[in-house]
Amino acid sequence: MVGRFIPSKFRWSALAAVLLAAGFWNQTHPLSGVLLAQQPSERQPLILDRPPVRLLSDPNPVFRAVAIDTEAGEVFMANDKESSGASILVYPTQFAPTDRIMEPRRRIAGPNTDMGMVCGLALSPQHGELYSVSGETGTLNVFSLRANGDVPPVRRLDGIIPRANAGVYLDAANDELWITTEHVNRLSAYRRTFEEDDEPLRFIQGPNTQLADPHGVYVDSEANEVYVSNHGNWRETQTGEGEVRGGDSLTRSSLGYNVPGRVLPLGPSTGRFLPASITVFSRTANGDAEPVRVIQGPRTLLDQPDGITQDPVTGEIIVANTGNDSVLFFAKDANGDVPPVRVLQGPLTKLGGPVGVSIDAKNNELWVANWDNHIAAVFPRTARGDMAPLRVIRTAAENAPLASMGRIGAVAYDAKRDEILVPN
Amino acid sequence: MSQPRISVYASSADGNAVPTRVIQGSRTRQARTSHYVSIDPIRDEFAVPNPFAQAILFFRGGADGNEAPLRTLQGPKTLLNQPDNVAVDPVHGEAFVAQFTTDSILVFPNTADGDVAPIRILHGPHTKLDGPIRVEVDPENDLMAVTTRDAVVFFNRTDEGDATPKWVLSGPKTGLGFSRITRDVKLYPKGKKIIAAARIRGRLPGPPGVEPFGDGHFIGVWQYGDNGDVEPWAVLRATPYTELMGRRLAFNEKTGDLFVGGDGIVQIYNLPEIFEAE
Repeated sequence: MVGRFIPSKFRWSALAAVLLAAGFWNQTHPLSGVLLAQQPSERQPLILDRPPVRLLSDPNPVFRAVAIDTEAGEVFMANDKESSGASILVYPTQFAPTDRIMEPRRRIAGPNTDMGMVCGLALSPQHGELYSVSGETGTLNVFSLRANGDVPPVRRLDGIIPRANAGVYLDAANDELWITTEHVNRLSAYRRTFEEDDEPLRFIQGPNTQLADPHGVYVDSEANEVYVSNHGNWRETQTGEGEVRGGDSLTRSSLGYNVPGRVLPLGPSTGRFLPASITVFSRTANGDAEPVRVIQGPRTLLDQPDGITQDPVTGEIIVANTGNDSVLFFAKDANGDVPPVRVLQGPLTKLGGPVGVSIDAKNNELWVANWDNHIAAVFPRTARGDMAPLRVIRTAAENAPLASMGRIGAVAYDAKRDEILVPN
Repeated sequence: MSQPRISVYASSADGNAVPTRVIQGSRTRQARTSHYVSIDPIRDEFAVPNPFAQAILFFRGGADGNEAPLRTLQGPKTLLNQPDNVAVDPVHGEAFVAQFTTDSILVFPNTADGDVAPIRILHGPHTKLDGPIRVEVDPENDLMAVTTRDAVVFFNRTDEGDATPKWVLSGPKTGLGFSRITRDVKLYPKGKKIIAAARIRGRLPGPPGVEPFGDGHFIGVWQYGDNGDVEPWAVLRATPYTELMGRRLAFNEKTGDLFVGGDGIVQIYNLPEIFEAE
């Protein structure tokens, strides 16, 4: 048992000098149980400052989302793995196949970028802009397409936008940015040219929308339809819920613990588990709107669907199906419990936790960002079945452990098994 | 955004270790925001909240892969509203949920399955429950600790209704509270210790170099009965030397290891001083 320092036995001037020296010493010496009196007080805390004896983490970036600048021949990848330093990594779209770890051409990362857990990307070659959203914050950042290093966003949407976004898509034809917000089952549209505290042009949210833990978003501007992938975790949300309006916020939702808002009365719970789905809305829908179509049911094979896009040639809807390591392709007008027209899946594909999909129309290629195995895989646009990718970008050696921990929510110790449990 | 999963590691794991098992897949019913795991050593189970589907999931202790929960607490009678944590009291067979959306603590039988109403509710102006985000239970000493926006408040384990806290830890000397973003609180029954983790934005006033809490995360330890604006009995500060980066807590009292979860990392500190018996 460690004894206690008794400040009353010393002159304060001498004590201050001792404390400063001891403070410096304590920062640099790994001796446990050293006591430092900190300030005059009824209690002098026992200072336990020492380094960790072990540290568990994966230092390798993962690929969370993918967006392609076909004209510049560059592919942008979101890396939300904070233990590797959250970043946007930029690679060439064309390169000689290699199994070696590939260094990015550019890397946007650092405290000035305000990157957060970057999980959604979109870009505009026409305007030279790159758009990112974070699963942690309620912001949308805009960077130059040529940005590199620790650079601040050139613009930032930071107004009433709910916290914890998932996907972002630029509808270039209508000059609108679309964002999904996972925590409050919401789909919002903003002017591409937004100012910092802009209100959305429109948003879809409420019990009739069937939005349930939404992730990816894609806009078919020709058909005037918006596609959203949903994991299926559902609760009844109120239209406008999650908007950050200080003490007048509709609720304390969004899991923003320190965000003020009205306290809800105790009342019946509304939560349910719905089958995973793709909900399709009119692009001009607003409020508690019903979807015009819903792709949902066991024949769809949807299982934790995430990133979503469209094949520019066939019009097929392409979905990164995280739950069973596949990419699903649906007919453009698919509705109800219908099977995909194509499935890309199998050990040769190297798909492992696919979360992002994008088409390189110039090179007729399909890109798939995989979270679990640190791989971005490139396939022919018409790929199907169990086929090997044309080439991959990897951020970890092939025999490296799979990425498992993300932003962890807790840690628990199981004494029976002498194990620790770490949920994301 | 992370993948919905629970990764399980040997407690001795180090570096970029391979999990001993990973619980993931749509059958598990997890959301990607599982902010708590509570172990029930008597039933050999663990419980996890799903805030998006307003559910509490109870799994087999050795669950692996795409394994469905043994029980799912969900439905209108539960009053669950974005539950972000759950604490199981294995001795008395109960499960506690701190609910920051409704300023309440809901208590269920830990065998509850389906649409089951709480057996007790702690809620009301006298409780000082303002945005409760974590609850922890000490079944040996019949104590309940709750992390709120401004404080850690303590109740008798069986308190319900509009009960008044028996102790409140709050104030600048504690380093806890609203602007400090307190997160997990853990109770060590044998030593009657309270372990809380918080993050301080900006430095607190004090002589340079000797702030009790440092700049950033800190972990404070108090003794049962500490009440009011009381400095911690012990503190682990964030410094370049300690590299403390997290606020999610677990411990192995036998080895003196404190597990601290951060953003994509788990740091293990050996702090046997905390786990000495009273």
